[in-house]
Amino acid sequence: MAAKKLRRARLSEELCERLSRYQITTCEDFLCLSLLELMKVTGQSYYDVQKLLCKVSRACAPKMQTVYEMKLRKSVNPSSAFLSTTLHSLDKVLHGGVPCGSLTEITSPPGCGKTQFCIMLSVLATLPVSMGGLDGAVIYIDTESAFSAERLIEIAGSRFPTYFDSDEKLFCMTSSIHLYRELTCGTVLNRIMSLEEEIISKKVKLIIIDSVASVVRKEFDTKLQGNLAERSNFLARGASVLKYLAEEFSIPV
Amino acid sequence: MQRAVGGLPLAPALRARLVAAGFQTAQELLETGPCGLSKEIGISKEEALEALQVVRQECHGDATRTAGGSSATRKCTALELLEEEQAQGFIITFCSALDNILGGGVQLTKITEICGAPGVGKTQLCMQLAVDVQIPECFGGVAGEAVFIDTEGSFMVDRVVEIATACVQHCQLIAEAHQEEDNLKALETFSLESILSHIYYFRCRDYVELLAQVYLLPDFLSEHSKVRLVVVDGIAFPFRHDFEDLSLRTRLLNGLAQQLIIIANDHKSAVVLTNQMTTRIGQSQSTLVPALGESWGHAATVRLIFHWDNSQRLATLYKSPSQKESTIPYHITSHGFRDVQPPAVTQNAEDTGVNPRKRPRREEEK
Repeated sequence: MAAKKLRRARLSEELCERLSRYQITTCEDFLCLSLLELMKVTGQSYYDVQKLLCKVSRACAPKMQTVYEMKLRKSVNPSSAFLSTTLHSLDKVLHGGVPCGSLTEITSPPGCGKTQFCIMLSVLATLPVSMGGLDGAVIYIDTESAFSAERLIEIAGSRFPTYFDSDEKLFCMTSSIHLYRELTCGTVLNRIMSLEEEIISKKVKLIIIDSVASVVRKEFDTKLQGNLAERSNFLARGASVLKYLAEEFSIPV
Repeated sequence: MQRAVGGLPLAPALRARLVAAGFQTAQELLETGPCGLSKEIGISKEEALEALQVVRQECHGDATRTAGGSSATRKCTALELLEEEQAQGFIITFCSALDNILGGGVQLTKITEICGAPGVGKTQLCMQLAVDVQIPECFGGVAGEAVFIDTEGSFMVDRVVEIATACVQHCQLIAEAHQEEDNLKALETFSLESILSHIYYFRCRDYVELLAQVYLLPDFLSEHSKVRLVVVDGIAFPFRHDFEDLSLRTRLLNGLAQQLIIIANDHKSAVVLTNQMTTRIGQSQSTLVPALGESWGHAATVRLIFHWDNSQRLATLYKSPSQKESTIPYHITSHGFRDVQPPAVTQNAEDTGVNPRKRPRREEEK
């Protein structure tokens, strides 16, 4: 929304021409300037500039919804609100399971079973909705190379022996889990940015990143000056993109 | 009428031409008339007419101001201000200790900032306030609507439903206990659906959307004149990353603060902002301080800091023009934001049987 070109904000052609001479082409550039600067740049009077500001703001402001509308929308499809983890006590504490549409973070000391939990969630997500799954593909971004396909099949076979009785079903399940091995912060970020199209084309219903901390700690030594800011920058940017994806597609991350 | 040409809100190029042609005051401009102006400066007659209309509007505005119309100016005596302040409502938080240290609750026409570490309850309090602002006046509320601007995405509809249900139940208990006419009548309009449909929710994904939304807010508030609360949940989040130019960030934040102050004053609504904490690394230790820097600290009138002490949540009033600094514990229950129950509490036999943590009703004081 921020990168929306001014031309599409319904400003007049000559105004856009004039603004692009000052390198102001997107709504972001326009709104970052103060009123006096805008007057100088557009050559218009104070009141006209205020009207322009309103126009541009309307082009990139978010839509209003009352909470009542949101509630009605949610109650229309209630089943897709959570991904049950099949651990009853955990589901009870989480009010149904891993929530769809928001980020969930799993932390623990090493060896407690985070990767195992992630593998199990991937199996659960590929199950049909009648069995409590999401009936969709899974994107698994692995930074520690800890994902083992054999373990995946073992879990699937022993947990749901009646469902995965044939090789064909196992094959189907494993081919809907897309694994990406990324080893640096840069590639992880690039991968996250490119996820939008993949989610739509592959009908992804779950995104797992295992793990965020390992790749960040490898690359950024917090004792060095300036690294703290860069690290937080990277994390915040990744987090905002992931939040957007989770909300937009209503999938758990 | 003696206004200098350089100070008129005209386009800069036009202004430069007028000054170069020797015009010094607005009076001279008006005397010349549009045709004369267009000949002297070399602009079209329509442009000259437009410019003169702007000048006339400005001068007219000046005249009414200097004639002493106090409705147009912002000056009034301190006595009038005192009467206004005393008649002003507060938005209660359902946690009586917090209301006490704030002097009655979240004040209208002021900006309150809530800082805290993640998970300590800032969004919970914002959701509680968005429900509490709608409490009818006979129960001690301000009967207003709420605007919720979310930048972090931590707004949960189900949670608001829980809080609103608890609030409605609480009011119903009071109405049953006191059996007054207006209480029962107000309860008819104060239901779950009406509460939810009067919270206006905006989801801003980055700082540009936030800026745009704040620019459009005055128009929105004029349309929805019953709004008494504007919550911006997470004012720090969009500004903390992706900003290499710190001076631009400070400038944008200051601009935002100015606009929010104007909104708070003009529409008599409370503005609540939530901020994150950051670590300041000192000589020997590092302390948690509110994010966004020192200059942002001047934007808010009242500052609350939420923090943990072992497993107890505490709220500290850090900055306030009228109350002293103090710290109180609070609790977040399934009903929302509440007091901490003291270990041995003597319960009243009447209506407080269900929930002894309620604060005394304000209508009894009246």
